[in-house]
Amino acid sequence: MPLVLWATLLVVYGSVMVASATTGMEGGRGMLIRHVVGIVVGIVALVVLWAIDYTKLRAWQGPLIALGVLLLVSPRIPGLSGTAKGATSWLEVFGVRLFQPSEPAKLIFIVVIAAAIAQYEGNIDRVRDVGRVLAYLFGAVVLIMLQPDLGTGLVFVAITIAMLIAGGMKGRYFAYLALASVLLVGGALAVDSTLDRIAGKDVALKDYQEDRLLVFLQPDRDPAGAGYNLAQAKIAIGSGGLTGKGLGSGTQSNLHFIPERHTDFIFAVLGEETGFFGAMLLLGVYLALLVSALAVATSSRDLYGALIAVGIIGMWLFQILENVGMTIGMMPITGIPLPFMSFGSSAMVTNLAAIGLLLSVWSRRYGT
Amino acid sequence: MSTYRQELKSRFATLGIIILVVLAALLVRLWTIQVLNGESYAALAENNRVREISLEAPRGRIYDRNGVELVTNRAALAVSIDPSAEAIRPLVVRAQNDDTADDPTQAELKETFGELATMLGKTPEEIFERVADVNQEALRSRVVALDADMSVVAQLLERQEDFPWVQVEEVAVREYPNGSLAAHVLGYTGTISEEQYESSPEYAGYEIGDTVGKSGAELEFEGVLQGDKGWRRIEVNASGKPQGIVSEQAARPGNDIRLTIDIETQRVAEEQLAAALEEARKQEQYNARAGAVVAVDIATGEVLAMASQPTYDPSAFIGGISTEEWKTLNAKKSEYPLNNRAIMAAYPAASTFKAFTGIAGLEARITYENKPYYCGGRWTEMGAKWPKWCWRRSGHGTISFHNGVVQSCDTVFYEIGYEFYRREKEELQATARAFGLGSETGIDLPGEVAGRIPDIAWKKEFNRNYPEYQMWLPGDTVNMAIGQGDVLVTPLQLTMAYAGIANDGTVIRPHVLKEVLDSEGTPILTEEPQVLSETGVSDKSLAVMTRALVDVTEEGTARASFVGFDVTVAGKTGTAEVKGKDDYAWFVAFAPAKNPRYAVGLVIEQAGHGGAVAAPVARNVLAQLLGEPIVTVWATDDSR
Repeated sequence: MPLVLWATLLVVYGSVMVASATTGMEGGRGMLIRHVVGIVVGIVALVVLWAIDYTKLRAWQGPLIALGVLLLVSPRIPGLSGTAKGATSWLEVFGVRLFQPSEPAKLIFIVVIAAAIAQYEGNIDRVRDVGRVLAYLFGAVVLIMLQPDLGTGLVFVAITIAMLIAGGMKGRYFAYLALASVLLVGGALAVDSTLDRIAGKDVALKDYQEDRLLVFLQPDRDPAGAGYNLAQAKIAIGSGGLTGKGLGSGTQSNLHFIPERHTDFIFAVLGEETGFFGAMLLLGVYLALLVSALAVATSSRDLYGALIAVGIIGMWLFQILENVGMTIGMMPITGIPLPFMSFGSSAMVTNLAAIGLLLSVWSRRYGT
Repeated sequence: MSTYRQELKSRFATLGIIILVVLAALLVRLWTIQVLNGESYAALAENNRVREISLEAPRGRIYDRNGVELVTNRAALAVSIDPSAEAIRPLVVRAQNDDTADDPTQAELKETFGELATMLGKTPEEIFERVADVNQEALRSRVVALDADMSVVAQLLERQEDFPWVQVEEVAVREYPNGSLAAHVLGYTGTISEEQYESSPEYAGYEIGDTVGKSGAELEFEGVLQGDKGWRRIEVNASGKPQGIVSEQAARPGNDIRLTIDIETQRVAEEQLAAALEEARKQEQYNARAGAVVAVDIATGEVLAMASQPTYDPSAFIGGISTEEWKTLNAKKSEYPLNNRAIMAAYPAASTFKAFTGIAGLEARITYENKPYYCGGRWTEMGAKWPKWCWRRSGHGTISFHNGVVQSCDTVFYEIGYEFYRREKEELQATARAFGLGSETGIDLPGEVAGRIPDIAWKKEFNRNYPEYQMWLPGDTVNMAIGQGDVLVTPLQLTMAYAGIANDGTVIRPHVLKEVLDSEGTPILTEEPQVLSETGVSDKSLAVMTRALVDVTEEGTARASFVGFDVTVAGKTGTAEVKGKDDYAWFVAFAPAKNPRYAVGLVIEQAGHGGAVAAPVARNVLAQLLGEPIVTVWATDDSR
């Protein structure tokens, strides 16, 4: 199965970049070890999910929903939470950081919503059905906003959109939804700033999140503050040129100009050190991976399996778009990892598990 | 299976297209950034990575004419504070904003700087004043103490954690081996001011916070003394921490200069001037506190000594002067010690002007050496309503022109002045101006004033708002003839004019720069004598005047000061009347009378008569120059 090949290539490529980015970093070796541990755990998850017959998952809808809710709420439970960069998105027990529960929650969300959409048999043309699907999304997003984690919320939205396309929602509903979300976002920003003014402090949406969104629209708004990350990432990628500066030789990266260089901004390191060719290679492998996943979807023996595959495609595609896009000024800056590339065990395990799910669908394509 | 199978294909196709579009969009964007604009981003990355810091060039040294060091450099340990440090920056911001109510309180300053202040023997306010100084580049660290005690420095270095914003560094500062000697000629250095920085292209390439000349030779020869900054390019990380040197260019030190000043003559001039002020106060001239002395080489215009009282210590400016000290230096009460009175103050020339009135009279054939005049003390030629008095109220009786100069008889010069008024040709003004009076001498020092020789046009313009005072009156010329009225001259001007008499009627431009030296000490520029003006006065008139001036020191108003002086000296006393002040004492001389070499001029504010305390100063300065013994010869004099 080519899926495994592409995933392996990505994991190797990602490990090389993480190694390069963490060299010379305080605790860099430990990070690399953690990265490898994540891969190993991920492979275990992959094998387990591959072995499970995905069709059986439909019967576990209730427990899966409960597990998903628990995962998303867990960081808010006293004694289980850890905070990083303004978001309480870690599960922490006795001060030991376990994982980011929103990562596996993505997969659970995909499986759950796939079952919900599949029951309409590929034809969603009633408002009530649309509403029911969106209720899942709404619930998940509300829970994520408790952390709050805007980027992950957007991933859930992207997953849902991709699955609604495959699930057969009528074109006009997409138009309505697009219009409604524009109004909603604009309204939310307006309400938020009014609330901030009335309360005299930062409530609801965090100011830094607003800033990141506005900086995206207006890059020179605040070059030393919120725009700094974007500016430095662009300089890193741009200065990589056609062939890059060579692994470990990126000045932007090694001199700490790129923030979060081994996690969210790993692509900036890649762009700087391997240049346009390296970036093109990465995007090429991503294309292969996504096409393989699409092949899984098309060959699925039932709509449920196809929807799971499409949800995973939506998740990866959006994360690629968002993560790469933010480093080159196409998307606002949010903290979303680049699939298989960013340092971070939770994401790595989740992505390898996603491969396992896809393989489960693929292996059972000839059933009844 | 159901019908959606067919539809699914197009939906998957849609997803496929979305995948392609997204990845293609990213690729196109990457192409524009990395390939089309790669070079400009590479430059930005390089800029990010590399910081350039400038290396200050050692300032050129200043020597006297014989190579004695007047200003040099030394290394000093400076305790400085980083104004951008976390603990400091908010205080600076609050002090620099417009809201004075927001200024840091004493308690806050004490909390932050209290311990450091105690160690350095300063107050927290003094320290903060330096830190919040706006005349410095924002990020440059501020020197709060120079030459701090070694034990204090050691303590600071040991306790770096307690004072993370304190740095100890070695800096080069000006050193003055002779203390305040020649302070006005040398000038002082300081931080370049914003006005200076923006004022002229001369300061292009300077940075806010650079040390520049602020007055005197330090300012005049700034371009020569400054040198060229070097630079060092260092690789830094995102927090600005240096990682290593990329490349560097050493600074080129400024050129040394050699002045025309002779430090020994300068020392005598300053000591004599100070002693004269003391003596004047002993003679009950209690307001005598200021004065100036100039000594020049007649043939070349080289200034050998230039002293001004009160004086100041240029080393007070090292590392930045405190506001308190600066205020004192600029207070009326302290008589503006920063002013170089030899060139920056204009006084009525008084009787010293009679030499030029006399020469003008001789040239115009109004008078001759033995022309007899009668001085009855009271002079009423302009009408009984406007009587003028000779300084000797009892009169000199019958007196020749020659003795009129020797005794400084006012009546003789009233007569000459009145004759000039009647001739209506402004010949007196022309002669005075030919000798350089009433205009700048062009000396190579900043801040010289022109003085004034009044005439009809000037008076009209000066009183343009008061028509009733615009007319030139006989009294104007008569007053000018004895150097009063509206005549104003600087001590240097007058000295150069007398040097002009000694120099066969040729006035030379005075200068203090002798040579500019290269790094090996070889002159690369030598200042040549320049003629300021050819007066065209006949040798005969000059000889008549010189004979009279010689007799001034031998039997006239200055004889007491030159008793026992082996060299013949030509000179003239003067006692200037200044409204609201005690009389100012003048003496100007040149020697030897035959083959003159040196001219000396001086004024002492509110010291009374010229022959009393001024002439003895000139005597001793000339004694130093001519190898005569220096003696104490204070005299009394009641002439004008």
